[in-house]
Amino acid sequence: METMDKEQLKQKLKEQIIQFLNLTDKKPEDIKDDEPLFGEGLGLDSIDSIELIVLLSREYGINIQDPKEGRKVLVDINTMADYIQQHRTK
Amino acid sequence: MYIHQHTCISAQQTFGEIELNTVKESVNNKLLAVEPKYEGIPPGILRRMGKAVRLGVGAALPVIKNNNNIDGIIIGTANGGMEDCIKFLNQIIDYEEGMLTPGNFVQSTPNAIAAQAGLMAANKSYNITHVHRGLAFENSLLDAMMLLKENQEAKYLVGGVDEISTYNYNIDYLEGWYKKTATVNTALYTGDSTGSLAGEGAAMFLVSNNSSNAVAYIQAVHSIHTTDTTQLSSALQHFLQKNNIETEDIDILISGENGDNRLLKYYKAIENIVHAPAARYKHMTGEFPTSTAIAVWLACNADKLPAHMFKSGDNEAAPENILIYNNYKGMQHGFILINK
Repeated sequence: METMDKEQLKQKLKEQIIQFLNLTDKKPEDIKDDEPLFGEGLGLDSIDSIELIVLLSREYGINIQDPKEGRKVLVDINTMADYIQQHRTK
Repeated sequence: MYIHQHTCISAQQTFGEIELNTVKESVNNKLLAVEPKYEGIPPGILRRMGKAVRLGVGAALPVIKNNNNIDGIIIGTANGGMEDCIKFLNQIIDYEEGMLTPGNFVQSTPNAIAAQAGLMAANKSYNITHVHRGLAFENSLLDAMMLLKENQEAKYLVGGVDEISTYNYNIDYLEGWYKKTATVNTALYTGDSTGSLAGEGAAMFLVSNNSSNAVAYIQAVHSIHTTDTTQLSSALQHFLQKNNIETEDIDILISGENGDNRLLKYYKAIENIVHAPAARYKHMTGEFPTSTAIAVWLACNADKLPAHMFKSGDNEAAPENILIYNNYKGMQHGFILINK
C-alpha cells in the first residue's frame, strides 16, 4: 500500500476526480478541500456519485455498500481523504 | 420531403460561419471534425458525452431549439459512440467484471445520440436510430419519408453522424479501407492506391411536407447492395426512370469518390450515365459510413459549392436537380435525388 501524508492524498484525489469525471475545465487547485462535491460546489450529480464510488473501489480498495455511508463520505475532499486514510486496503 | 433547416459539423468550416473555399488539411490520414463550443449543452452533460454524441447533439440542438414540437428524431449512425463502447468493454476485462463506471456505458450505444437529443429537448415523440452501416443515413431519410406519408402535417429531425474511434480506425485500417502511406486530403484523388482517409461528422435536417420557404426537396432515395457495376448502372437507370428524370436533367452529380482505386469502377459507371458536372466531397470530410448526410448538406448549399470540389464541369448558377451517389466499402450503394 502506498503511504502518503494527507495533503499528498488530497492532491492525488483531486487529480483522480478530474480524470474519472472528465472535468477537463478544472485543475486540482480549482477544487477546494471543503467545497461541497455535489450541488452548489463542484456541481456533481448522482451519476458522478457512482463514478466516485467506483474510484474508491478501484484505487483504494474501499467498497461502500451502504448509501447512507456513501452520503457521509462523498461530502468534500476532506471527508473523502479522511475515509480513505481510515479504510483503504491498497 | 422538404428540407427547411440544416446544420453540419465536419472537418471543414461548416458550422456557424460557413467557409468552403479553403480546405482544412488532414492530419495523419484523418480528417477530424472541427468541433464548436457547444454552447447549448450544459458543461455537466457535455463532459460525459463521447465524440459521436457531442457531434450529433451539437448539430441537432440548433434545429430542435428553433422548432418546437418536432414529431420525431431520426438518426443514422453506423457506429454511434464506439470509442466509449470499447472503453466500457475493456473495463469489463480490466476489472474482472467487477464495478464498472456508468458513464461509458450510457454513451456507448448507437441510440445515445438520438436519445440525448430527445432528452435535452424534452421531446418524447418518435425517437429512433438506424444503423445500416454505409446506408444508415439513407434509411433514416426513407423512414422520415414514410412517416411523412402517414403524418402529413408532421416535421422531423433527420440526421447522420459518425466518429473516428481508435477501434474502428484500426479495424478498418487492417481491412485496407484507409491509406497505408501518408496522404494529404488535397491530393486524395491523384494517387492510384487502395483505401481512403478517415473522416467524421454530423449533419442534421428539419424535414416536412411543407414546401413554403423550403431549402431543398428530397425527391427520392434508393439503395442497393451489389459488387456488380452492370447491376449498379441498371439500378440508377431504373431509379431515374421511376422518378421521371432524364440524365440530362441532372445539374450536378455529388459523388462519394474517396480515392480508393478499387471503388473507382462504380463511380465511373455512374459518370458514364450522368454527364453532369461531378462534385466530390470526401477530400473535405474523409470517409465514414454516414458521410452522405454531409453530401445532402452540401446539396442544400449547392450554389456555394467551391471549385475544388469539381472533378468535371463547373458549378451551375442555380442547379435544380442534384444526384448524390455514394458507395461504401464496395458493396453498399446509395442514390439521393434532390431538387432545389
